[in-house]
Amino acid sequence: METSKTAQSSKKPEVKKIPRPMPRPNMYMNTGPFWEGCQEKKLLIQQCPKTGKYQFFPRPGSLYSGKRDTVWKEVSGNGVVYSWTNTFSAWPGHEERLPYICAYVELPEGVRILCNIFNCSSADMHIGMPVKLYWEELENNTLYPAFQPA
Amino acid sequence: MDRNKEIGIVAYGETKIDFKTGRSAYDLASEVFEQILNKTGLEPKDIDGLAVSETMSETNNPFYSVYMAEMLGITPRWNQVTGLGGASTIANIARAHSAIRDGYCETVLVIAADAQSSMMGGGAEQGAQRYEFQYPIGLRGPVGVFGLLTQRYRHLYNLKDEALAKLAVTQRNHALLNENAYEKLRKPITEQDYLSSKVISDPLRMLDSVMVCDGANGVLVTTKKNAQRLGLNKMIFPVAYSEISNYTGSDFSAEITDTGFEVVGPEVLRKAGMTVKDVRMLQAYDDFFIALMLVMEGVGFCERGCASDFILANDFSFNGTLPLNTGGGQISSGQAGLAGGGTNFVEAVRQMFEEGGVRQIPSPNNALVTGIGMIPYGRNWGVSNALILEA
Repeated sequence: METSKTAQSSKKPEVKKIPRPMPRPNMYMNTGPFWEGCQEKKLLIQQCPKTGKYQFFPRPGSLYSGKRDTVWKEVSGNGVVYSWTNTFSAWPGHEERLPYICAYVELPEGVRILCNIFNCSSADMHIGMPVKLYWEELENNTLYPAFQPA
Repeated sequence: MDRNKEIGIVAYGETKIDFKTGRSAYDLASEVFEQILNKTGLEPKDIDGLAVSETMSETNNPFYSVYMAEMLGITPRWNQVTGLGGASTIANIARAHSAIRDGYCETVLVIAADAQSSMMGGGAEQGAQRYEFQYPIGLRGPVGVFGLLTQRYRHLYNLKDEALAKLAVTQRNHALLNENAYEKLRKPITEQDYLSSKVISDPLRMLDSVMVCDGANGVLVTTKKNAQRLGLNKMIFPVAYSEISNYTGSDFSAEITDTGFEVVGPEVLRKAGMTVKDVRMLQAYDDFFIALMLVMEGVGFCERGCASDFILANDFSFNGTLPLNTGGGQISSGQAGLAGGGTNFVEAVRQMFEEGGVRQIPSPNNALVTGIGMIPYGRNWGVSNALILEA
């Protein structure tokens, strides 16, 4: 079937430089304690007081009880690599970082964190590798949690 | 849904899948609608139910399904919009079936259209935790998530590259026979082409992945009684459906290779009174080939971790032992944005109507169709569903 194409389809999209996305605290709930902890190089995650279980990313209430009574607990950040990928095709804004490693790091508290891995070549990356916290400094001196080999 | 076969599918329509068409989801949907009206002899006023899939291109419109009714000239007495990503179309078949059974309406247009590669409607944003815990890291959306998933699977099991390559070549061969496939993907590839394709998110390759395009597809669901009154002689029946969202969502110790198909796969077969050996064709949601492996394992075609050997031991071509994604799947025909969940489903309907042409499956008496939707944090996918169609 022949269909009409609009003028837009023949225009090439303009190449515009997108800056690296910065974390935007409190977008969906009060994550303030997490970000305040980061600025002091402390990793804070939520714990359900009823079950003692942890959860990450932060939720408005406990995933285990539904109650809005979770508490923020500082954890060591010593974990192991659960899985990883070397990224050769950037998410918009990350082009200048290519290639970069994204990983899930499993913490002893039983949660996994999506993160970048620093100070490790892709040749040395492996599942089960012990890692520790690495505080990446973003724009405006914002500290963001990442990991490096322990 | 039941096995009485009183409610079924009487017509389908599909646009050609294309890249950056500059068209809107409404315009694409209209093309599908016209095809369905032409095939059935119905007029817009004869349709009293509408079920649409959410899009990437129009979803910033909170009234999308009502706009769609207005755009097409339908006055629905039952109107449904479903936001389960690539699981939406078969979810809408189940929802339309229930609505007809409960007497809200009799004839439902189930339609999916998206112009994701053109983004004529401005585009959707998933938001939530992503701004804080995903975007700053730079995980490359689905490609990144499936890279992590593939790496984990490779660590746990024996993932054979030649099995992935076989799927790539089989589906590409099907796309060569499908005039609705995106034209630039209708070029033959070899297993070596797959193996040497560019790594985009290690170990995921370019040819593991879908290409986002524009397109639309849809079907008409009605009662057997109405179909007979209208003189429509082709009809197939949804006989079993199963769906799960947020599987293992609160179990952070669950393996990311555990998928919702371990629930919905066996359940849908049990509801249909079938085993995997009875499945005549598998039209499975394919955003990445590793997803097909996890679906095969979850449904029970093979043991956990054994998909590579299962794939190497079977012939998935349209005239093989277990025909798979006989239109080329999304990976070789293009992903029609979030309407891509309807692509393999409509191919199942086409095959069961024996309108598959040069790629017709012999004796197409049933089909297992699966859907996958949404990319969550730290797992595999957010929605798994499965539908069984019978002649």
